[in-house]
Amino acid sequence: MAIAVLRYPGTNNEEDVLRALSVIEGADPFLVPSRKGLAGLEKADGIFIPGGFSYGDYLRAGAVASVETITEGVRDLAENGLPVIGICNGFQILAEMGLLPGALLPNESAHFICKWVYLKVNGKTTLFTEGLEDAVIRLPIAHAEGNYYCSAEDLETINDENRIPFRYCNEAGEISDLSNPNGSIQNIAGVLSQKGNVLGLMPHPERASRQILGSTDGLHIIENFVRATKC
Amino acid sequence: MNLIYEGKAKRVFKDPNSKDRVIIEFSDSATAGDGAKKDTFPGKGAIACDISEILFSYLEGKGIDTHYVKRLKGPQLLCKKVSIFPVEVVCRNIAAGSFCKRYGIERGTVFEKPLVEFFLKDDSLHDPLITMGAITRIKLVTRDIIQFLIRVTLSVNYYLSELLKQQNLTLVDFKLEFGKTEDETIVLADELSPDSMRIWDSKSVSLDKDVFREEKGDLVSTYKMLLDTLRAASPEDVDIAKEVVQVIVEPKSGIKNPPGEVTKKALVRLGFAEVDDVRVGKVFNIVLKKPITTEILNHLNIMNVKLLSNPISEKHKVRLE
Repeated sequence: MAIAVLRYPGTNNEEDVLRALSVIEGADPFLVPSRKGLAGLEKADGIFIPGGFSYGDYLRAGAVASVETITEGVRDLAENGLPVIGICNGFQILAEMGLLPGALLPNESAHFICKWVYLKVNGKTTLFTEGLEDAVIRLPIAHAEGNYYCSAEDLETINDENRIPFRYCNEAGEISDLSNPNGSIQNIAGVLSQKGNVLGLMPHPERASRQILGSTDGLHIIENFVRATKC
Repeated sequence: MNLIYEGKAKRVFKDPNSKDRVIIEFSDSATAGDGAKKDTFPGKGAIACDISEILFSYLEGKGIDTHYVKRLKGPQLLCKKVSIFPVEVVCRNIAAGSFCKRYGIERGTVFEKPLVEFFLKDDSLHDPLITMGAITRIKLVTRDIIQFLIRVTLSVNYYLSELLKQQNLTLVDFKLEFGKTEDETIVLADELSPDSMRIWDSKSVSLDKDVFREEKGDLVSTYKMLLDTLRAASPEDVDIAKEVVQVIVEPKSGIKNPPGEVTKKALVRLGFAEVDDVRVGKVFNIVLKKPITTEILNHLNIMNVKLLSNPISEKHKVRLE
């Protein structure tokens, strides 16, 4: 299926994402520079927004990209049910455009953090976590603004609606402050849209998609995404 | 026509054709010294009306919101209906009139920067000078509106001064009134004539109501001379002035602010033990190529919500000072 991999000026994970997608059967990824605008999305069955530093992270991470024309096209397609995944800066863009609730604030330590983390997958099956229910997976993070925050109301809603598929945990799967790398509220690492077709995730599944990279846990998430584009 | 209001040199009528318009008629009378001195000058109203028409159209053309709609026959202007704010705004470039009396300053003293003063519109109190603090305490208008009026007044000062400068005239001072239309737009109202401003030629000779106040010559011919001079001016040669507004974005209270915490620790480490808390936000200096209007203030709010701030974690304010 045709998967548009977006590249904004400053996006730098698109090659990793294209490589990860290239080994998945049925995936037909193509790179779309954001300047192509709405035309770049015409053939897309799914949209992947990779990480990086779109527009140099100026203003706020993801803020400038969130108001580009192509991003408005992403909104329309997402509202029509097309699967959309945003990783790291992609998550920040989806949050800035309001397609996902909340905001990604500067890490509590005020440092850029680059390390492997464990994630506890929610037991409720979602489009992106099928086969991973209740698992503890290992993915790398690399961000300065990954501190997930949302209003108390939104927090209640996303909990009630099972829209928090991934939380930071330790190797044993225990979710605590000690296993929280960046200060995210309730250790949230990823959230889903209400319809469940849009996922924002700070950790990088594409960097854990081959044995040589140290983990293949991320590949499952990407495979699930590709499978969702076929339905 | 139905009279709504009668002032010292103007009458305001209902517009029979529209409920959000009024007709302002300029009379031939002139008063000075808080009404102590009074006289009638045939032809003065029509000239004051001509001058107001020219200056309002000119300011509108430069992007300033005014109540002016169009000229009618005779000494009448069709204007938007507004509720007038109860303060008069005075802008001074050079010391003259009541300012000199109040502070004992020599007439003609040039200010480094224009001064904006407010006066309470109340005849029974003789329109006293009023401070910004008093305006907000007695709730005449809000602080935000005061700042807006100051900015628009300074824009008016620039555009009028530049136009007069073309003709070797100097804008000494002027008085403005502002009001709010039904749709909440703040506009420049009242009149723009030598009744409400001081204009000097290159030899500091008055081309305004001081001719009458100080009995220095013929009022009607002086006003006529000013009108002819304005008609000869080239408004299109006056450059648009850039306006700078500041947008301040800060983390909402209760939201963690790691950059602020780190900065605080560093300040304490440097020995500034008195520092209790630091919150880091952003300041945007936005340069506009138009005078500030109600519409622009609305735009700034939209800019904030759409891009400059993240309403989930940040609060924003527009600073006009």
